[in-house]
Amino acid sequence: MGDEPLIRWRWVRRNWSDEILPALGDHIVLCGISVLIALAISIPIGIAITRYRRAQTPVMFLTGLLYTIPSLSFFAILITFPGVKIGRTPAIIALVAYSLLVLIRNTVVGIDSVPRETIEAARGMGLTSSQILRQVELPLALPIIVAGIRIATVSAIGIATIAAYINAGGLGTLIFRGIDRDFPTQILIGAGLATLLSVLVDFGLLAVERWLRPWSRRAAARAA
Amino acid sequence: MIGFRNVTKQYAGAARPAVDNFSLEVYDGEITIFVGPSGCGKTTCMKMVNRLIEPSSGEILINGKDNKSLNETELRRGIGYAIQQIGLFPHRTIAENISTVPRLLKWDKKRMRDRADELLELVGLDPDTYRDRYPSELSGGQQQRVGVARALAADPPVMLMDEPFGAVDPIARHRLQQQFLDIQAKVRKTIIFVTHDIDEAILMGDRIAVLKEGGILAQYDKPEKLLTEPNSEFVANFVGADRAIKRLALTCVGDVQLEPVQGDGQQLPHVPEDENLRDVLAAMLAGGTDRVIVLSCEGEVRGTVSEQTLRSLFRAPAAERAASGAVQ
Amino acid sequence: MAERILEIIQGPIFSRALAEHLRLSVAALVVAVLIALPLAALVSQSPLGSLLAINISNIGRAVPSLAILALALPFLGLGFRPALLALTLLAIPPILINAAIGLREVPSSVVESARGMGMSGLQILTRIRLPIAAPVIFAGLRTSAVQVVASATLATFIGGGGLGGLIVRGLQRNSPEFQLAGAIPVALLAMATELGFGGLQRALTPKGLRVGSRSRAA
Repeated sequence: MGDEPLIRWRWVRRNWSDEILPALGDHIVLCGISVLIALAISIPIGIAITRYRRAQTPVMFLTGLLYTIPSLSFFAILITFPGVKIGRTPAIIALVAYSLLVLIRNTVVGIDSVPRETIEAARGMGLTSSQILRQVELPLALPIIVAGIRIATVSAIGIATIAAYINAGGLGTLIFRGIDRDFPTQILIGAGLATLLSVLVDFGLLAVERWLRPWSRRAAARAA
Repeated sequence: MIGFRNVTKQYAGAARPAVDNFSLEVYDGEITIFVGPSGCGKTTCMKMVNRLIEPSSGEILINGKDNKSLNETELRRGIGYAIQQIGLFPHRTIAENISTVPRLLKWDKKRMRDRADELLELVGLDPDTYRDRYPSELSGGQQQRVGVARALAADPPVMLMDEPFGAVDPIARHRLQQQFLDIQAKVRKTIIFVTHDIDEAILMGDRIAVLKEGGILAQYDKPEKLLTEPNSEFVANFVGADRAIKRLALTCVGDVQLEPVQGDGQQLPHVPEDENLRDVLAAMLAGGTDRVIVLSCEGEVRGTVSEQTLRSLFRAPAAERAASGAVQ
Repeated sequence: MAERILEIIQGPIFSRALAEHLRLSVAALVVAVLIALPLAALVSQSPLGSLLAINISNIGRAVPSLAILALALPFLGLGFRPALLALTLLAIPPILINAAIGLREVPSSVVESARGMGMSGLQILTRIRLPIAAPVIFAGLRTSAVQVVASATLATFIGGGGLGGLIVRGLQRNSPEFQLAGAIPVALLAMATELGFGGLQRALTPKGLRVGSRSRAA
């Protein structure tokens, strides 16, 4: 490497719109789709296992095991399945699987955090079970579910970089090309943008979380 | 209006029923207290009225109709419900909390808003200050008032209240009790009120049902009768050895026949005419005298009452007391 | 195909990769513990210090693991040592965060009564604060361990060896057998780490603390 500068800004400028921005866009789409699919699966499952407690332990155990599978290994196993080819599909399947644990867990914790007396009062006033779910339990669980979305999205952004190795696109493409060509600029841009994206999503969703909880925010402000 | 007919609740696996062959009549416009030690089934009895708990046998009639024949959620929307833990919705403002049932009943917005303001006034909270706050911004006592306001929102003829003032300190509780009695004097609801506190029962109740463990109705009477003629050792013990003093608390000194002031009574303690006799006795003890001067609400001297008078009332059975007053 | 996979697993390439994988993981974890624990004890002396350490570690955790490995390349080149360094950096934040939180949240009344009985600062740390914080610290260790075992799969991209090598070889040669001979053992290793550390965590929790000590860094 020797005199080579760490980042060659000329390369960055030249490839910004052709390579870097599209990779960033792909990355966002990949993670966004995965977390949305995971959410669509997790919320009904989460609600269901607050109703059928017995299913809770096996569901959490299974999703916990899925969560520990190293991503490269997960991709490799998935593409040996018939009909799953290299590309976005196995990446999305794995990212969805990784998100299940935290999303289901936070849905359950969120619903369980609703005070029992609140549910009882709601029942006593004549709300039906589905009204209680929609008007009381889900709104109160929402900030905790969003906290889950935050954790799931941040980890998806990290893991998605590896998915570039199985041609799923995204910022990992820059990192792997940089490794292949021994070109630090490309590695740093890919890694840096992925980190930046994580941090921005983290802060952004944290803000959403707070915004969704006006009742505790105002109380805190008043107490201060 | 509400009739319990041989109601029994037996939980699966429990050795004995939680409520055992419970029958009584709750009268319109009255506060009926269910009181008893913990585990006596008083809350279970109450929750069977709006079918939060279903009885194993027997029936509960509301206006002559078996409540099992009524739609569960509609039944509940027609019965006010307030509990000790309050259970306000933390994510909704005070006004939204109060409007819960009106909203289920699809009232229009203006009507809901006006009703919420009216109820906040009624429970002594300034609507402009409180309507848009969240429950976490209120003190425990304020939250309990909102809980009562929410139960009153759709103007239900019947209210169920499970220790609705249980979560606040004694001083605030006393104020809430008095305030609630004032409200009840205006709204005249049919109320089932559950408590474990016999003093609260005597203060609040038009009628009191004392339950003992296993959900057995021990006695159902007006407060005076309960204090003067407990029908069993259990009830006598439960209302307490100080039941004679409690009885004094049921009468205002202004209702007793007073004696004229003799000579210069200036050094005697003064009590207002709406003070109850127990507090009058306390004033005598504190003042080290055997007589106090009773003032009218306007502050004029109405007469005096002596310790001897109190003693005679002490002994008189309730029925005679009203008739004989304090005739010397 | 199963036979072919078994054949690879019994072969020398696999055993060397497994040995590399384990060596890398264990070494990274040990070094991380040696750095993170004293650092946590140090920062937990001041609220500002622990807040700073927790927040920096949290930002550190936002860096994708592939990025940390790839970034070691321009600075340290290819091989075992850059991979070890990257994995150590990955392993530190969960341990540091949990240890700092665990030590910070020992009730001050407990520490005060220990001081009142004449314990020195070091004695309070080793006899009171560490045992009470142990379950939380161990939860961090468990998170780290699983992450290190998983991320060691990526070490192959910077020449660090490990079971990821088999997967990459399989993908490049379009040989599902090699892919699976790497992927399945790594997955099992990660699960075993998770379950094993989970069991150890339960076993090491002092009896008096077993109720309600389920906190684990998310």
